[in-house]
Amino acid sequence: MMLSMLYGVGIAFFGFVLHTSVAGINRKISGRLQKRYGPKWYQEFLDIFKLLSKRATSHGWIFDFGVIMALGGIIATAMFIPVTNNFLAFPDFDNFFIFAYLIAVGMLGMAMSASGSGNPLASIGVMRALTTMLAYDIPYMVVIVTIIKLTGTSSISGLALYQQAAGNNWFIVALPLGAIVAVLALMAGLGKKPFETYIAPAEIASGPLVEYGGKQLGMLFIMMEITHFIEVSLFVNLFLGGAENIFIFLVKYFAVYTALSLISNVYARFKIDQVVLFFYKWPLLIAIVQGFIAIYLGWVI
Amino acid sequence: MMNSTNNALEVITLVESKYNVVKTEHISKYQVAFEVIREDIHSMLNFLKNSGWKQLSYLSAIDWPEEDKMELVYIVFNWDKGVHIQIRSKIDRENPEMDSILPIFPGCKYYEREAHEFFGIVFHGNPDSMKQLILEGWDDIPPLRKDFDPRAYSEAHFPQREYTETFIELNQQESKQEKRAARQAHIDEVRKGGKK
Amino acid sequence: MKSTKFSELSQEQVDRKWWEIGDFFRRNSLWMLMYCTGCCAIELPPAMTSAYDMERLGMGPMATPRQADILLVSGYLSLKTLRRLIYTYEQMSEPKYVVGLGSCTINGGIYHDSHAVINQLDQYVPVDVYVAGCMPNTEAVMNGFVDLMDAIKHKTANGWKKYRDNYDWYRQNQIASLGEVEVHDEFHE
Repeated sequence: MMLSMLYGVGIAFFGFVLHTSVAGINRKISGRLQKRYGPKWYQEFLDIFKLLSKRATSHGWIFDFGVIMALGGIIATAMFIPVTNNFLAFPDFDNFFIFAYLIAVGMLGMAMSASGSGNPLASIGVMRALTTMLAYDIPYMVVIVTIIKLTGTSSISGLALYQQAAGNNWFIVALPLGAIVAVLALMAGLGKKPFETYIAPAEIASGPLVEYGGKQLGMLFIMMEITHFIEVSLFVNLFLGGAENIFIFLVKYFAVYTALSLISNVYARFKIDQVVLFFYKWPLLIAIVQGFIAIYLGWVI
Repeated sequence: MMNSTNNALEVITLVESKYNVVKTEHISKYQVAFEVIREDIHSMLNFLKNSGWKQLSYLSAIDWPEEDKMELVYIVFNWDKGVHIQIRSKIDRENPEMDSILPIFPGCKYYEREAHEFFGIVFHGNPDSMKQLILEGWDDIPPLRKDFDPRAYSEAHFPQREYTETFIELNQQESKQEKRAARQAHIDEVRKGGKK
Repeated sequence: MKSTKFSELSQEQVDRKWWEIGDFFRRNSLWMLMYCTGCCAIELPPAMTSAYDMERLGMGPMATPRQADILLVSGYLSLKTLRRLIYTYEQMSEPKYVVGLGSCTINGGIYHDSHAVINQLDQYVPVDVYVAGCMPNTEAVMNGFVDLMDAIKHKTANGWKKYRDNYDWYRQNQIASLGEVEVHDEFHE
């Protein structure tokens, strides 16, 4: 058990290093897109370690405790991620709903801490983050439930194995409408451009992060990197057939994240009501149509 | 299509027929200025607002220390005719007072506060006019009056950077330009072999 | 078999080593809070976009004072903005640096005899790097940031320490010019 715990923390650390590198490379890519030279690929590491080396001000114990709760909650979630078929810490506990519940602990920790700072912009940011979550989670859940209904399992590694066993019949191909919804929900989950309402640096001064500086901000950056790792790995496992070995995982991970940040580079930001209306209009409709034709009509490519 | 020159002329005839205008200036195709007595301002603004000049563009003042007068300037604008009208009136400088035009143009609230802050004009009827707006904690006479000396205020309140004297010492050094000219003359002399 | 002998490091030496490691990260990842009150701010868009690309040095704009390392004062400061500037500077987390752009921050520039504009920024907050010029061109701005990185490397960019040690002196100057540093207006109450 102890060994599995260490293994899980190792996966979280792997996710942090992986996502920070991939995000750094993506900063370089978007720099090149804008005809700039772009930062160093390890710039994100420098940023995080710089933040950890600074002195921080506190706004009371809820503010500090919430940061630790956010980071701890996200590390606990990342422990259950199946990276490849064999590279996972808890083989029997990688049910999808574990992620759905545990990831909320980290998010709530951050929400609690941001509200504890007493800054009105932080409260607006938290409210917007939760509203966005509510908007994209419903269509996303409809698609996931469709997949679970079709395969009869809700274990992430089980779903990955199912796709590999059926001759690499990935759900991104088998359920194309659902995959569109999942990509949109993933963009909202990662806080990519059209759905970036809760960060909005020019509007609400980076939202929940407004009062953080120094060590707390560094910890929240680590937490966000691991959150992004969880969300992108879930997408890779659910829709791209998981990975037999680590290289396939890295390739798929990099492809998904880079494609999303390329898309986000050409968009401007939605308003919060536009985000909610958008998700409740088209993605929800598409997800329900996909569920209907996949489950009742049995039309799966 | 309306002719805006005619618009301006129309305004002049209209206003001059109703009010006792001290001086009229037809500044340009789109601008007319009337100088009126202080008591006429309210009824005139009211009249212009009802005839379509419904935007108060600006309210400010000019200080004339030689005449010992303070001149108030109201600028109103008509969006249909495209004509700005300036209404000017001279008031007492020592004790500048004016009745607020808040009932006519509610937007004058902040202009009046600004005019009070920079010129010391008291607007009766505007409850906020004495509050500070731009200058915080001002402790001198209103700064846009002509008898205010900004340089003296700046020197009294803000530390000035003191420069060391090295610049002057450098200037007392021998001029490199003279040396260069002397050298060039010597070279020329040598080149010509001492001949003129 | 010989074992490597490590000489005992004193606590001060250990602290200094850690500080040097921290300085490496700090000078390679400078986040700015741009306090764009004056016209020199127009030099920042070319410095940030593809012409000079500040991000290749690890620099970038930040939204709030808590997250930022550099307070970039671009141009003249009126009394009203100086109050907010002092608020902002005191909110930043240490180590923090101040960069003053343009001659207005050095000696008042063309506003040297104005009733509303201060003349010398370093009387109120410590300034680490000045970029002279009215306005400085973009190469000079970039050069100023590289100078700041050098100063951090050579441990000479310690204005924040100076502010903490000589707080009374700075406070006295602020009160002498401003009367009262705290902001009292209808929007804050």
